[in-house]
Amino acid sequence: MMTVNWIGLWSLIRRDTSRILRVPIQVFVAPWISALLFIFIFGYVVGPRIATIGGHRYLEFVLPGILMMNVINAAFLQSSSQIYFQRFLRYIEETLVSPLSYVEMIVGSLAVVILRTVATALGILVIAAAFGVTSIHDVWEFLFWVVAVSAIFGLLGIVVGLWSENFEQLTVLNVFFITPLSFVGGVFNTVKMLPEWLRWLAYGNPFFYFINGLRHAMIGFSEGSGAFGAAFTLALLAVLAVCVWRLFSIGYGLRE
Amino acid sequence: MTPALSVSHLRKVYRRGTVAVDDLSMTIAPGDFFGFLGPNGAGKSTTIHCVTGIATPTSGTIEVFGVDAVKDYREARRLIGLSPQEFNVDPFATARQIVDWMGGYFGLRAAQRKRRTDELMERFDLAEHQKKTFRELSGGLKRRVILARALVHDPRLLILDEPTAGVDVELRRDLWRYLQELNRDGTTILLTSHYLEEVERLCRTIAIVNNGKIVRNGPKEEFLAGGLEASYLTATGAEPDHIAGAA
Repeated sequence: MMTVNWIGLWSLIRRDTSRILRVPIQVFVAPWISALLFIFIFGYVVGPRIATIGGHRYLEFVLPGILMMNVINAAFLQSSSQIYFQRFLRYIEETLVSPLSYVEMIVGSLAVVILRTVATALGILVIAAAFGVTSIHDVWEFLFWVVAVSAIFGLLGIVVGLWSENFEQLTVLNVFFITPLSFVGGVFNTVKMLPEWLRWLAYGNPFFYFINGLRHAMIGFSEGSGAFGAAFTLALLAVLAVCVWRLFSIGYGLRE
Repeated sequence: MTPALSVSHLRKVYRRGTVAVDDLSMTIAPGDFFGFLGPNGAGKSTTIHCVTGIATPTSGTIEVFGVDAVKDYREARRLIGLSPQEFNVDPFATARQIVDWMGGYFGLRAAQRKRRTDELMERFDLAEHQKKTFRELSGGLKRRVILARALVHDPRLLILDEPTAGVDVELRRDLWRYLQELNRDGTTILLTSHYLEEVERLCRTIAIVNNGKIVRNGPKEEFLAGGLEASYLTATGAEPDHIAGAA
């Protein structure tokens, strides 16, 4: 049985980190500016006109959702574009001919996803602090949600990056699934604000549990079962991890 | 003696049904300099892709120094260095990064990588270009980077898929000398090329592949009796037209 190729794994991480550092505006500045605009408009301009929610200012309520939306986007864009460009420019072959295991390739990719999302999240927290919102109710819970959700969307990004044959396909999941579901997953509103007949849209939406979990970690406010949300998240993570490992082992989208 | 490469009944059918390699078998002895010839689309690159893990064989077995290239793929890949026909690199990475990262994938420690990368940069006259991105390099320099990358981990089996395509005469001759040195030092080399002069000069054993099958295989001398080009054209079925054309 071969041991973990730590140096190989570290080299993958160095390579992909170097790639994101080449485009800092696209990778970091864009989501920070987007978050800044959301915080300013929804939290600072519109927020004061809205009553407190569970004893929290609207800006405090909305910030975890904004942060989670950006974490999800950063994770998905990182892994999907990374693997797609490797396939498109064929330098995926560098790793295919090397003695890296499939697990090492996946872990290397996810490590960079998490580095990117954590950096994105920290930047948004700094921006929020400038608007007087600094609350983190439970740091470990906060890290759990950022890391677990990053890994989920990092894995989904790998699947889409392997499947896509062109740039159009690369954006399909983001346009038709990620963006709509994150907007209706409780970023800007509580479930109670929805008409009763529409509440299934929140409870049946996985994004609701991600946002709700992070919101609880940040301000201690929750509208759903945290235990169910965490269990669901871990189960989804496990299923996706097995699926991606299987895709790598059969060479789907990787080998001719 | 365990062969450096043993390919047995290899078959590769692509998703759209194209049979690229059909029941191909060949053996390369350790220390050999093996010429793998054939027309475009004959199955040379597909065979190489199956050996190196870029393509998945449909059936058949591949062993590299006795290691199964599919079941024990990690161990088999440690033994191989590949210089592919087409440039498969991140065009925004520098020449040095490309070689250094590859050394890392093969488990070379930082100090080893630095020493080996320095050596290869010097050997291929890349020292002054090592901080340029791949896309900024000329065609010849790009080819040198690809060769340096293939050699960074001192592979026991070096596979060169048309390594001198599009390079100038100086680099070609310099590369020939270097390959001969490597081969003398024990590296087994599999070379595909459309330059028959190159194959005649470097290789000891030659195999000709056509329509996915090995149509002739043996020591170089067997091919030289009537000239390598004539042997090649006969083996690939091009002789009648060639003779008619010459007449």
